[in-house]
Amino acid sequence: MFEKILFKPKVRNIHFLILIIAFGVLLQACTGEPSTTQEPTAEQERQGVLRIALQPIVQTDPAFISSDPEVLIGSSVYDYLVDITPQNTIAPRLAHDWTVSEDGKSYVFSLIENATFHDGTLLTANDVVWTFDRLRDPQVDSPTKDLYSNIESIAASDQFEVTFTLKESNPFFLYDLSDNHALIVKANTSDPISDFMGTGPFKLVSYNPEDRLIVEANGDYFLRDRPNLERIEFIFFNDQTAQVEALRGGQVDLVLLISTDLYNTIKDEPGLVPLESATNSFDLIRLRADRSPGEDPRLMQALRLATDRQAIFDLVLQGFGAMGKDTPIGPMYSQYFNEDLQIPQRDVVAAKQLLADAGYPDGIRLEMHTPDTGNRPNLAVVLKDQWADAGIDVTVIIEPESVYYGDDVWLDVDLGITGWGSRPYPQFYLDTMLVCDAIWNESHFCDQEFDQLANTAGRTLNEDQRVETYNQIQELLAERGPTLIPYFFSQLGAISDKFSGFQLKPFPGRSDLAAVQLANQ
Amino acid sequence: MNSISKSSNNGLGVVPSWWRRLLQFFQQLFSRPVSGFGTAITLVFLIVALISPLIAPYGANEIIVADARQPPSNEHWFGTDNLGRDVYSRVLLGSREVLVLAGFGTLFAVLFGTLFGLMTGYQGGWFDEITMRIFDSLLAIPALLLALLLLGTIANSKYSVLLVIVVIYTPIVARVVRSVVLAVKPQGFIETARLGGESRTRILLREILPSVIPTLSVESALRFSYAIFLVASLGFLGVGVQPPSPNWGLMVKEARAYVTLIPWALFFPAAAISLVVIGVNLMADGVKRLMSPDQID
Repeated sequence: MFEKILFKPKVRNIHFLILIIAFGVLLQACTGEPSTTQEPTAEQERQGVLRIALQPIVQTDPAFISSDPEVLIGSSVYDYLVDITPQNTIAPRLAHDWTVSEDGKSYVFSLIENATFHDGTLLTANDVVWTFDRLRDPQVDSPTKDLYSNIESIAASDQFEVTFTLKESNPFFLYDLSDNHALIVKANTSDPISDFMGTGPFKLVSYNPEDRLIVEANGDYFLRDRPNLERIEFIFFNDQTAQVEALRGGQVDLVLLISTDLYNTIKDEPGLVPLESATNSFDLIRLRADRSPGEDPRLMQALRLATDRQAIFDLVLQGFGAMGKDTPIGPMYSQYFNEDLQIPQRDVVAAKQLLADAGYPDGIRLEMHTPDTGNRPNLAVVLKDQWADAGIDVTVIIEPESVYYGDDVWLDVDLGITGWGSRPYPQFYLDTMLVCDAIWNESHFCDQEFDQLANTAGRTLNEDQRVETYNQIQELLAERGPTLIPYFFSQLGAISDKFSGFQLKPFPGRSDLAAVQLANQ
Repeated sequence: MNSISKSSNNGLGVVPSWWRRLLQFFQQLFSRPVSGFGTAITLVFLIVALISPLIAPYGANEIIVADARQPPSNEHWFGTDNLGRDVYSRVLLGSREVLVLAGFGTLFAVLFGTLFGLMTGYQGGWFDEITMRIFDSLLAIPALLLALLLLGTIANSKYSVLLVIVVIYTPIVARVVRSVVLAVKPQGFIETARLGGESRTRILLREILPSVIPTLSVESALRFSYAIFLVASLGFLGVGVQPPSPNWGLMVKEARAYVTLIPWALFFPAAAISLVVIGVNLMADGVKRLMSPDQID
């Protein structure tokens, strides 16, 4: 019955044909060089309600969102100035074109001229200027204030033209402009937390915290052939298993960010399409380097030597992902990844010796904090068993993710497991996690040589020099870094086969929901 | 139906009388198949809890990488879980955590409950009023909700679980004891003892307590079975215990994620919970029949 109502008239098939062609054209546009926007194609009817199971969101102000669910909702209500493709290249969004000056310090963006906010007002350069001024305002104190501290000025040089001037050149500036927080908000919005005033493909219908958030298609979206869906319901679940059960039972259509165990239970389920995306996401185990016991670098060395990475890869990831070498620069960044570094091998005797040298001949007791999401609890349990052989007695303390991050537990504890999402370029991790004054320097690591290298890699316009510097950085971190990074994991999920067009991005929150449509039957 | 007070001479004149009475009590429990079955299960689990470290073939958190996700076999009787841990060993070792926490929790709850029940029932007056209203307010909150509330505010450890059991069950035991005390108090022999100059402590312990014992035994056995269930439930909800504890409830919670692939990792701890709760309940039923036969329909 349902199918008949939706697909009966033959005329509709033509719409679908147009839709598919339009989708193909757009896909090509997204993956290619920056180009002008598509000419409006035939106005198609929007059909279908997609129900997505997500962990509850806390932040709704784009300047403060961080988790995948928050970013996924944000990026469907708002738009970025420029976007990032699944292949990690830059694609146009609200800016359809841009030019960069010779010295790499001046960027001029031309905006789309027919984009409107959900209240009908036209998007102009002022909105872009207001948004980025807010993101770099120390008073607002968004996590992006350091990222954008290199911006000298932002100016509206025309109604639809914005000019960014940098203090120093930054080869990754376009990526920085597509930071998860950099969603363009209407200028002078009084309350960015509850206004949801964006230009995005969907507009807010209702939001019941901890229950669900509903959006409907924005009929005036500047891309005439998007979105394809009529409506999206983001339904909040605290429990991953419950999300997967809801998918299995048909109460939701899409789950993201699930553990390997859960993925294995649904990947062969009829009616579901498994989603897998290789990423640079990783779980890191870090020991605070600024106080006892972690201030003695031999402790971290002992933890690394006591770890059996192959066993972790087999048990925890069950083969989905790649093994790590204790640096955040993974194999995804092919050109920057140091192939020569070896995967560290387990050596329990050497680990014990290092512990004894560091003053713990009878072993050491530690508390290990970890959030309750993804594969982290399993990782903690396996590490506890492996480290016990070297006399490292760990008490595992599993906390709700909202407590672990929300109460800043992760920036305080001595030993913790933290999940880091995938970013399109590696400099992000160095600048936010590892340099002395990094905003999320959870290991409290501070090394002058490292800071110099990180600064060079982040500033140079010479690609060969950058590759060389990243290689040195990886060697330095493998030798004396504060982290143990056992693996890079794939992002896993599943979607009902009633839908097509969903492409899981390495940072799942950045997946494009406007491209999703009812499957052609 | 035999009565507990009926003496029997089995020829063991040298053993102390309490031992003889205990033996006789168990004999009577086993004389009915249903309560005998329950008692046997309870005893088996108690013995397992006692000696599990000796008989478990593997450690609770011993990971055998090559054997992960194996179905039950000769090597692993209950199979292995997603991380390659022997489920049989974990169920055996888990019995210790569940039964010890539930057992000591019940013991303390019965001790405190009896104390409060005796004092409030005998003393009466404002002391009775205040204590009982406090207990009433605790009883008004569902047990699991109260447990979550308490565990949310105090440290999340197994000692907290013990404390929670005591806090939840003390008021219940106290009310039961108090009601017996109120029924016994007006009787002549209490008045006689009081007029005879017996101290209050002596009257409570020597005259009133023996009348409370039958009801208290039934109540203790019942509380024990509820406490086991509570410990497992809290484990399932992930409060009070931390991985890699082999708490049965926590094992069920963890195995729930991959139940369609590794059902045995969920089945055996779940079966252990059911079996021990049923066993203790049947035993409690038997105790009730022996202690107060007139209340059985």
